[in-house]
Amino acid sequence: MSTSTPKFSVSNLDLFYGQCQALFGISMDIDPNSVTALIGPSGCGKSTFLRVFNRMNDLIDGVKITGSVCYDGMDVYSDFDPIDLRQKIGMVFQKPNPFPMSVRDNIAYGPRVHGTTGKKELEEIVETCIRKVGLWDEVKDRLNKSALSLSGGQQQRLCIARSLAVAPDVLLMDEPTSALDPISTGKIEDLLQELKKSYTIIIVTHNMQQAGRVSDKTAFFLNGVMVEMGETRQIFFTPTDKRTENYISGRFG
Amino acid sequence: MPVSRLHFEEELNRIHHDVLVMGTRVREDLEKAVTALRERDETLAQAVKADDPVINAMQTKIEDQVAILIATHQPVARDLRELVATIKLLDHLERIGDYSVHLAKAAIKFKDSKRIRQFEILGKMADIGCIMLSDVVVAFLNYDPEAARTCALRDTEIDALHKELVKGAFGNTPRTEEEFTEITRLIRVSAFLERLGDHVTNICELVVYMVEGLHEELNA
Repeated sequence: MSTSTPKFSVSNLDLFYGQCQALFGISMDIDPNSVTALIGPSGCGKSTFLRVFNRMNDLIDGVKITGSVCYDGMDVYSDFDPIDLRQKIGMVFQKPNPFPMSVRDNIAYGPRVHGTTGKKELEEIVETCIRKVGLWDEVKDRLNKSALSLSGGQQQRLCIARSLAVAPDVLLMDEPTSALDPISTGKIEDLLQELKKSYTIIIVTHNMQQAGRVSDKTAFFLNGVMVEMGETRQIFFTPTDKRTENYISGRFG
Repeated sequence: MPVSRLHFEEELNRIHHDVLVMGTRVREDLEKAVTALRERDETLAQAVKADDPVINAMQTKIEDQVAILIATHQPVARDLRELVATIKLLDHLERIGDYSVHLAKAAIKFKDSKRIRQFEILGKMADIGCIMLSDVVVAFLNYDPEAARTCALRDTEIDALHKELVKGAFGNTPRTEEEFTEITRLIRVSAFLERLGDHVTNICELVVYMVEGLHEELNA
């Protein structure tokens, strides 16, 4: 894990939904090729913060942001076209949301939209991405079947593969396993360890044990404030802030 | 507070209670062993020896409780440090219990000894050890690292008394094999009490670790 240049630098970020302030003075760096977990009770602002990185909050009326968010040293809100940004920064959601298309077309859709037309090239992308998420053996004989026929865990891995197909740099994951059974959850967690070698991953999770298992760094949010961020082993063994200790120990949340 | 947290704290309180019971029993056995040694009381010494399996069973029971709590609740941060520290504390208490047995055995062997001065020193060492043991168990259960640090300071008194005994024991060159055996036995008993102080100091370090997350060497 490189720590020399952050993949993201957030400085004094405030976010408002209309008049209501949801994030207060957030400052943090995200290391490249790492998994950073965002934890905190419901409504603390973690998902709102996650959406800051790929400007998904732009799609919500009345959202205003102050402060800065830099990605590879460039300002996310002034130096990037949102579409280009979202190609580089993929997102996976809590509920698997495959397109109502075949397995193959789910993966090929993104590259096609971005200009890839060659059939051989698209097939290579499809196979590579499905293999990367460990799904190839399960779906290789059903690439033409509807993605909706897959199990929940398979659908979620397909959604991750779909994100990878447009060659992103970063993956944002908003509770990617909370709708899945333990075995599927385990497969996705194993996948994260593999993917972080090539991507920077930020994951929102309500599952303390998951954050402990998969992440390199953890940030604890409470009421729109980032209370504490550090190496996961430090956050879960010797947290500095009493509020962090109380939350991870289950005293509230 | 969430119900799962309440359940966790109830189980933790049970463990605290059992640690207090075990710590109290170990201290009582230590006091009986020292009395047996001072008064050359063979009956009391046998009672201490007979209690050792009870101490060992307590350790096993509390260890299992700790393991189950870790498995079922996956504690983190201070809760986890406390449970790790508890397991280590049990080892130290069990060893102190073993030293009581050694003292009790020595009481039986020393029944005809006339070495008043050395027995006084042993008595002082044991008295300090008993007070330290009480203090550190209270510090542990009260999550009080400052009390633990204060307790650890008294180990130097035990060390000093041990040196005094060893020096004095060889004050006159032993004239018979029996005298030599007696001196050796005295020094061994003194060494047990000196080690007892070390074990209590280790427990003091566990209190600091549990509350502050630091590995601090006390009274080095």
